[in-house]
Amino acid sequence: MIELKHISKWYQVGGKPTFILKDINLTIKEGEFVSIMGPSGSGKSTLLHILGMLDDANEGEYHFMDQPVHSLKEKQRSQIYKQHVGFVFQAYHLIDELTVYENIETPLIYQNIKTNERKAMVADMIDRFNIVGKKDLFPTQLSGGQQQLVGIARALIAKPKLLLADEPTGNLNSKQGEEIMDLFKQLNKEGVTIIQVTHSEKNAGYGSHIINLLDGRIEKTN
Amino acid sequence: MLKNYFKTAWRSIVRNKAFSLINIIGLSIGIAASLLLFIVVQYELSYDTFQPNYNRIYRVATQDKFDKDITYNSGIPVPALKALRAEFPQIQFGALQSAYGSQVTVPADKNETGNKFIEETGVFFIEPQLFDVFKYQWLTGSPASLKDPNNVVLDEKTATKYFGTWQQAIGKTVVLDNAITLKVNGILKNTPANSDLPLSVIISYVTLEKCGQSYNHFDTWNTTSSNFNIMALLPPAVKMDDVDRGLLQFSKNHYQPLQSNSIKTNFLQPLSTFHFDRRFASFGDHVTSKSTLLTLSLIGIFIILMACVNFINLATALSVNRSKEVGIRKVLGSNRSQLFGQIMSETAVIVGISILAALGITWAVLPYIKHIASIQEQLSLFTIQNLIMVVSIGIIVTLLAGLYPSLVLSKYNPITALKNKMVTAGVSGVSLRRGLVIMQFTISQVLIIATTVAISQMNFISKAELGFNKEGVLILNGKSDSISLSKQSAFKQQLLQIPGVQSVSFNNDPPSSDNLWSTNFAYNHQPDEKFQISLKFTDADYLKTFGLQLLTGRSPVESDTMREVMINETLVKKLGIKNPNEVIGKVIRIGRNQWYPVVGVVKDFKTSSLREDIKPTLITTRKTFYYCTGIKIRTQQLANTQLAIQKVWNQFYPEYAYSSQFFDENIERFYQQEEQLSLLYKIFAGLAIFISCLGLYGLVSFMAVQKTKEVGIRKVLGASIISLLQLFSKEFTILIIVSFFISVPVAWYMMHSWLNNFVYRIPLSSWFFITAIVSSIAIAWITVGYKAIKAAIANPVKALRSE
Ligand SMILES: Nc1ncnc2c1ncn2[C@@H]1O[C@H](COP(=O)(O)OP(=O)(O)OP(=O)(O)O)[C@@H](O)[C@H]1O
Ligand SMILES: [Mg+2]
Repeated sequence: MIELKHISKWYQVGGKPTFILKDINLTIKEGEFVSIMGPSGSGKSTLLHILGMLDDANEGEYHFMDQPVHSLKEKQRSQIYKQHVGFVFQAYHLIDELTVYENIETPLIYQNIKTNERKAMVADMIDRFNIVGKKDLFPTQLSGGQQQLVGIARALIAKPKLLLADEPTGNLNSKQGEEIMDLFKQLNKEGVTIIQVTHSEKNAGYGSHIINLLDGRIEKTN
Repeated sequence: MLKNYFKTAWRSIVRNKAFSLINIIGLSIGIAASLLLFIVVQYELSYDTFQPNYNRIYRVATQDKFDKDITYNSGIPVPALKALRAEFPQIQFGALQSAYGSQVTVPADKNETGNKFIEETGVFFIEPQLFDVFKYQWLTGSPASLKDPNNVVLDEKTATKYFGTWQQAIGKTVVLDNAITLKVNGILKNTPANSDLPLSVIISYVTLEKCGQSYNHFDTWNTTSSNFNIMALLPPAVKMDDVDRGLLQFSKNHYQPLQSNSIKTNFLQPLSTFHFDRRFASFGDHVTSKSTLLTLSLIGIFIILMACVNFINLATALSVNRSKEVGIRKVLGSNRSQLFGQIMSETAVIVGISILAALGITWAVLPYIKHIASIQEQLSLFTIQNLIMVVSIGIIVTLLAGLYPSLVLSKYNPITALKNKMVTAGVSGVSLRRGLVIMQFTISQVLIIATTVAISQMNFISKAELGFNKEGVLILNGKSDSISLSKQSAFKQQLLQIPGVQSVSFNNDPPSSDNLWSTNFAYNHQPDEKFQISLKFTDADYLKTFGLQLLTGRSPVESDTMREVMINETLVKKLGIKNPNEVIGKVIRIGRNQWYPVVGVVKDFKTSSLREDIKPTLITTRKTFYYCTGIKIRTQQLANTQLAIQKVWNQFYPEYAYSSQFFDENIERFYQQEEQLSLLYKIFAGLAIFISCLGLYGLVSFMAVQKTKEVGIRKVLGASIISLLQLFSKEFTILIIVSFFISVPVAWYMMHSWLNNFVYRIPLSSWFFITAIVSSIAIAWITVGYKAIKAAIANPVKALRSE
């Protein structure tokens, strides 16, 4: 499903390039549940953003479902992204101006799905995550765990094939974290490919294998 | 999708209440102001356009070319009418003779003298052919109603004024100036207010055959009166230039044999310039120069631009706070155009609200429009044009105000937007914002300078030494028919009996007026001079009544006809004579008259408005021209004196309605347009300052939030409050100074050319400019001060903790 070839990313700092990612080669098949680990600043988030097409690599090839993402135009890329990728953040990143319901609904609006269909899909999702009672609240009225649930629900609403999560449990207590991980496991069983960044060995254990990043290089995969 | 846009738009407006309010207030005032100005400009431009033949109607006007200057006259010699008809058979001509201040008497059963009406807006002697050129709506009758002498056509409102209803007016008789009996045999619909030829009392032109003399209607090629006009309707195929060429030849044929000291030429003046050309007399209530309209339009555009600037500035500043939302939306799959649409619709909602508010403001203010424009009519707000205007203002403002913020926001890279708010925001739009603030302050300062200059000039005018006494002089308008003249001396004696009356003078014209009675003349048996002199016919008490000063010699002795003359200082100088005593005893001839001795020289006084030079003037006696009575009265017990004067009038002239004005009010009327412009500057400078301060306040409030942390850290490090205030005010102060240097040349150019309208004007001193910069810096500091002080004295620990 995903194939990275010689991906590099650098920033010009003080005139000379500082590498964040260096010659990354990586293949991820459909249905996998991958955890990315590594020390702070090793480039995990950067890698995830490139995978999620939110950021460009400076060098290398990126094939997503047999499409050469690196050579696609912004518009086509956005099209692929919209249909197939969901994103979950450590800081939730819900839109404060929208209610829970509307936050979840937003990706569907951007895909021009009709109102009735949208209603049904959001209602299903809200049911599934057991947040019916909260659907008219605004994000600031929710606890951290609840916000992250909404964030995941939002990421899943458009039925993505790939779910990317950057330290989804970073701001949660261990019990909340466990629930989220169980949810991921469940989703993975239903066929969603998941790539998560995590600092916790325990969370990483939920995945089928782990990628270790160190100074922008893949240390080892197991 | 759209619904969703507007929903989120509404929420974000509510969330950023303060900013939305600032935007809405600024925009609604800006839109209302420019809408008002648009209504005024559009109204002025609409004059006469309802005439179906608008583009083919012309006036055959006259120009006189003297040695140095050219004078224009809307009139033409009376015999030209026949000649034009004979020599230009393809063109339809129609003539009219106007008379102002005539009295119409409506006979009434009970009241033996009848009801008297003075028609200040004019009565017109009109040929039926004129209605081939200008179209009017007839309630009853037709142009043929004016075929025979002694017929009159009234408009609906005048007929109602005279007879109660227009239906009752038909067939009745009225008396014009107590001399001519007229039969009402037609009624016109009221002329639209935006007409330069409003007709209310129309008398058949042929009536003049018997009484032309009384209305200065002389059938001679020698006289050109602006009261006699010939209008022309050109056939569609005929070009104005061709006719003008024909008129040049026409003028040569008819005027050259007269051997005047000027070259007289007739030419066509298009109807589309009637309302805008101040060189020609107008039958309507006012003439507006195109440059005034341009000034109005520019001010309107500037005000709305300033409001848009506020919007752009606040929106880009605010985009810092919105970067997170934008980032998330992008992550959720929104593409640029969708985001763009969303932010645009937010702008549209704010603009929409502002437009509603602006319509409310305009609706409330519209009745007061007559103070800034010469529009007496009650204009309506809800017309198609205004609606189109409002919608286009809405679209333009939305684009203008929303485009840049939307572009900036939708361009954000989602990751940077989510990760690092400050960096992106710091870069985006700062230089643009500075540029826009400079633009705002440039406009405000130009308007401040314009305002102070205009106010000073108008003050200068009202305090100017006129060379005569304008206060406490009552002017009565009378008729100079022979019966009235015979009663004049008794009338004067009776007036002087009134305790409050100091002196009485009969004359044709007060010292300062916009009357243009001028003629060619010769001095000391030499050939005619190369310039004209203006004439004033007065009795011996003229100097005393108006407080004119004698330089040398004496006033002409009292006489019913011309015997002796007095001239003014300017005329002495123009004749090239140094010592005024030299002219005493010399002779002067006006027109083709006989020679008369000069007996005195009067000290210069302003003969017309201060826009113009003092005219070389000759003052002499001639009873038949004494239409006007000047009465100098004591300022105590004014009302009683006025009543007593009216009583004496009614006793002597029961058949004439009493009408009086104070002389100083007449003089003020010269400057009506300037006063309006000066008021306009005041209002709009105020608005401009208000709008720019509003924007400044918004920016500073935003800065205060942004800098909370910085200020906190600096304070912990020991910064003083003054140095913290500098943090806020330094940038704005620099921007204001920069804009000052832009506004100086603009304002200088603008006001220099405005002041050039006046011969008597104030110098454009540097104080006007210093006032502008000092006041704008002061205003800006006051605006910035409150928020800045609040931020500077806040508890630093609190500021740091609220991260
Ligand atoms: N705009 C930038 N300019 C320069 N360097 C940058 C920029 N953005 C990120 N970096 C650098 O890239 C490196 C990798 O960042 P990244 O966010 O991917 O790390 P991470 O592995 O996710 O760390 P953490 O576990 O702390 O989230 C860091 O050293 C960071 O300093
Ligand atoms: Mg990270």
